[in-house]
Amino acid sequence: MIRHLFKLIWNKKKAHTLLIIEIWASFLVLFGLSSLIVFNVSNYNQPLGFTYENVWAIDLRNNQDTVAVTAKMQTIMQRIRSYAEVESASRMSSNYPFSASTMNNNATHDKATAMAYLFVADGDFAKTLQMPLTAGRWYTPADSIGKFRPVVINQLAKDELFGNEDPLGKVITSGDGQYKVMGVVETFKSKGEFQGDKPTIFEQLNENAPWDKTVLIRVKPGTDAVFEAKLVKDITSMAPEWGAEVTYLTDSRQNQHNLALVPVTIFLIICGFLLINVALGLFGILNVSIARRRGEIGLRRALGATESSISWHFVGEMWVLATFAVVLGLILAGQFPLMNVFDLDTGVYLKAILISVVVVYAIVTLCAVYPSRQAATVQPAVALHEE
Amino acid sequence: MINLQNIEKVYRTSTIETLALNNINLHIRTGEFVSIMGPSGCGKSTLLNLMGLLDAPSAGRVEIGGETVTQYRDKELARLRNQKIGFIFQSFHLINDLSVLDNVEIPLLYRKGDASGPSRRQLAREALEKVGLSNRMNHFPNQLSGGQKQRVAIARAIVGQPSIILADEPTGNLDSAMGNEIMSILQQLNADGATIVMVTHDETMAKKTHRLVRLFDGAMVGDSVLMSNA
Ligand SMILES: Nc1ncnc2c1ncn2[C@@H]1O[C@H](COP(=O)(O)OP(=O)(O)OP(=O)(O)O)[C@@H](O)[C@H]1O
Ligand SMILES: [Mg+2]
Repeated sequence: MIRHLFKLIWNKKKAHTLLIIEIWASFLVLFGLSSLIVFNVSNYNQPLGFTYENVWAIDLRNNQDTVAVTAKMQTIMQRIRSYAEVESASRMSSNYPFSASTMNNNATHDKATAMAYLFVADGDFAKTLQMPLTAGRWYTPADSIGKFRPVVINQLAKDELFGNEDPLGKVITSGDGQYKVMGVVETFKSKGEFQGDKPTIFEQLNENAPWDKTVLIRVKPGTDAVFEAKLVKDITSMAPEWGAEVTYLTDSRQNQHNLALVPVTIFLIICGFLLINVALGLFGILNVSIARRRGEIGLRRALGATESSISWHFVGEMWVLATFAVVLGLILAGQFPLMNVFDLDTGVYLKAILISVVVVYAIVTLCAVYPSRQAATVQPAVALHEE
Repeated sequence: MINLQNIEKVYRTSTIETLALNNINLHIRTGEFVSIMGPSGCGKSTLLNLMGLLDAPSAGRVEIGGETVTQYRDKELARLRNQKIGFIFQSFHLINDLSVLDNVEIPLLYRKGDASGPSRRQLAREALEKVGLSNRMNHFPNQLSGGQKQRVAIARAIVGQPSIILADEPTGNLDSAMGNEIMSILQQLNADGATIVMVTHDETMAKKTHRLVRLFDGAMVGDSVLMSNA
């Protein structure tokens, strides 16, 4: 029977070219679609690496005031830490989690380099954001007296710079400075759940420098805008010319998500339409080509084919055609992981290929079963009569 | 072998209702060669289709080889069509995308767990030899003449060694020389034991059979045994 199918298909290869192209195109559309979905889902599934609920970012600006900026900053930090509502506070660079700004730097260790996100933060950063460490510890003020300034890196930075080596106590070069690795955190997705983790380095903040004046505070649950107003008022009374802007991390996270979701949603809608088009197109073509073979269906049933063997016949034919199309598609889709286009994980492409193969076969099967079922329920005499 | 009782067939379309067969009672015995004649549109093809289980009667009872098929479902009907009946059509109904040999092989493909590929091909070759076409096995239908096509169709009808052969105007599209050749093949098959029912417009063909059934306007109007042949 399989031989019979192959012969039939081979002898009709011209008529089938259109179908193969149609299935091939559908496969590629599906592949693109599922790559994007798999990529986003796997990003989404990575842990964020910190918690953001009840965390506020206070952006401090000294404006025209250049007198004793560091001293004022230290006073403000002390004041902030003294509130009953504040559980923990950490001073950091302006690129707080979910903010629009980023800093990155090339880091090297031996011959390995990594383009890494850079955060400058004090010793309370991990505590404020409740970041779990997988190795070592977060740096403390006492670490600043060593020969190298301390850093903490995330797992991805560790993988790229150290491979399987133990990074603790090792020195990395970043920009002009050299830094000693004190600890490792698992992930730090500072742009939100949808963005994949990036190599990240946390560098100890210099408390005597006048820059890096963003403060993250973790407040007690239920703390509200009344405290926010009080906080801003207190800060501006300590440094009258300064500005203080408070952002809730839950809000900035929402903004990041909206940014990430817009292109994904648009792409999904386009792909949804394409998919419907492709499915309808395939269905139309198969329906016509099977309807045109009603006579043949009648004949086969006259010769002893059951209704289900007719369905299987057409499903079989379509599977063979789909296999041709999918193989052609795989040659193209396979280039993506091989050439490392778009810098995605090979696993993402493989999953996407698997999903698109399954979906293509599912559509093709449905598109073959339905019309052939219908044609096979007609009495053979009627089907033959029509020819 | 074939027993029809009180057969009625009505074709219904949205606008008209045609009574194609009315109260047909016909019993065909094993080994008979029966011809059916009648004017165009009188229901000959309809009757043959009912015997071949290609359509269901509106009323009445069809028995094939002792089995009453009235309650039969698709699977059982398919088995009977495949094993007991060989059908030959006026317009051949060959699949143009398959070679002669592949066309002839088709009935064997629908046989459960039977012959292997090579033995199926062997049976198909033997059937083609019987109709004198062994030199055209790898041709495609559109490379054949009408008479050759009909011989392929006969080979396909007999490849599964059915006990019944139903032929709907098998010579209708052929010239008389070709027609005679087809007729002698059918006579040989009948001599070998097949029960044959043949629809024809040609008196000389009908005269070569055992029994002549005449239809008019959906009713049987004559059933005569042709003694000279029986
Ligand atoms: N599928 C159908 N739908 C509706 N009416 C039909 C159908 N098939 C046959 N008929 C009608 O049934 C009647 C008998 O048709 P049938 O084909 O059996 O005639 P016939 O004796 O074989 O004629 P011919 O010698 O021209 O082949 C005709 O009036 C025909 O119009
Ligand atoms: Mg007819």
